[in-house]
Amino acid sequence: MDTKIKSLLLEGRVDGFWGYRTMNGFPFPRLFTKENANELEPWRPTVARYPVLKLLLREMRMHSDRTYGVLVRGCEERGLRELFKWKQLEPDKVVVVGQACSRELADCCECRQPFPDLLDYGEPAAPVTQSRKVDALQAMAMSERRAWWLTHMNRCIHCHGCRDVCPVCFCTECSLEHRELVSGAKLPPDSSFHLVRAVHMGGRCIDCGLCEEICPARIPLRSLYKEVNRLVEEIFDYRPGVDEGMSPFTFPGDELLLPTG
Amino acid sequence: MDDKAFEPKILGFLCNWCSYAGADLAGVSRLQYPANIRIIRVMCSGGISPHHLLHAFQKGADGVLIGGCHIGDCHYLKGNYMTMKRVKFLEGLLQFAGYDPRRLRLEWISAAEGLRFAEVVREFTDQIRSLGPAPTFEAVPGMDAHPSEAFSGRGEFMA
Ligand code: SF4
Ligand code: SF4
Ligand code: SF4
Repeated sequence: MDTKIKSLLLEGRVDGFWGYRTMNGFPFPRLFTKENANELEPWRPTVARYPVLKLLLREMRMHSDRTYGVLVRGCEERGLRELFKWKQLEPDKVVVVGQACSRELADCCECRQPFPDLLDYGEPAAPVTQSRKVDALQAMAMSERRAWWLTHMNRCIHCHGCRDVCPVCFCTECSLEHRELVSGAKLPPDSSFHLVRAVHMGGRCIDCGLCEEICPARIPLRSLYKEVNRLVEEIFDYRPGVDEGMSPFTFPGDELLLPTG
Repeated sequence: MDDKAFEPKILGFLCNWCSYAGADLAGVSRLQYPANIRIIRVMCSGGISPHHLLHAFQKGADGVLIGGCHIGDCHYLKGNYMTMKRVKFLEGLLQFAGYDPRRLRLEWISAAEGLRFAEVVREFTDQIRSLGPAPTFEAVPGMDAHPSEAFSGRGEFMA
């Protein structure tokens, strides 16, 4: 990662680059600029994942005139495409350097594309097309499945972490904080909290799994969103972050966009 | 709960131009249908968000009926195409969360179909009656034991 990114910085093609730097043995997201470009390390595969798109989005909202680079995995590239579509980021202000995920990470994520289309580092692992977790859930009887979900959702501490970490949750007003939709007074919130969010992720979720990874209650959210994505593909013939065009849930089509900010 | 004691609460979202007019016709024609349905008139079935439908269940509806114009007859040209897909999506989601999708019903009912409206309400009420009261979105006591994390898939990299 050092030479390619360093030249992007030194040639002035980007004002900043979101990469990683090892701290205490772990890679941490770090904003590199011309000034600290010498701190860049050689690329190495890692399973550590961070909401880098959130960091990028925040940085770009503060400095809309600047151009940034970012090291992306497959899901992050998909996320970027959605953010471009929803006009949260400008494509010509973002320079992408891609890294492939390891075989073990792809298996853990049950990822359908564990590498970005623009690949600079690493060997692409084979896609995982079937979700063992979703299949196991579908194999349950309906009432058993409900009990299974409720047991998990019953641990929710209503921290909004799943929303806050999600790269494609960018609305300035959130239906999860709408008193008429989700009661803020109840703990745990009832499962409509999760269903409201699942509805909202339809046509947007790019299956990065960060929501599940961050959830302090260890609620297996990714399986829920994997099913959301499967339904969207089956009913609307659309894969967020992969297919062109706006979410099929926008009506009437691309005339309807959320305000930026 | 025995069947006689259970009276289903059904919420109907009916589009202003077709299904609500159909319900109106059923009324003025003095057609008999169960009084279990409460109706909300909306301008277009395409304006019903899945949030509204979830909210109805959250607030204790046992069944939700959505009535729209027949395909091709939408006053807003393609609102009901959207309704069709959204309802299908929500049915799938409810099913996956363990809620019976038969509690959600979409019907195309035109302004001339008063008879059909009465029939649909009758049928749907019978169906909900046989399904029994809708389960709540809340966990019941005893459900909070920590389940197996077999599907969680995490932890593999989190030493
Ligand atoms: S979902 Fe997982 S495997 Fe797929 S690209 Fe993202 S991090 Fe890699
Ligand atoms: S997997 Fe979770 S965090 Fe990632 S896009 Fe989907 S809902 Fe958002
Ligand atoms: S991150 Fe987990 S605990 Fe927090 S609100 Fe989301 S589901 Fe609930």
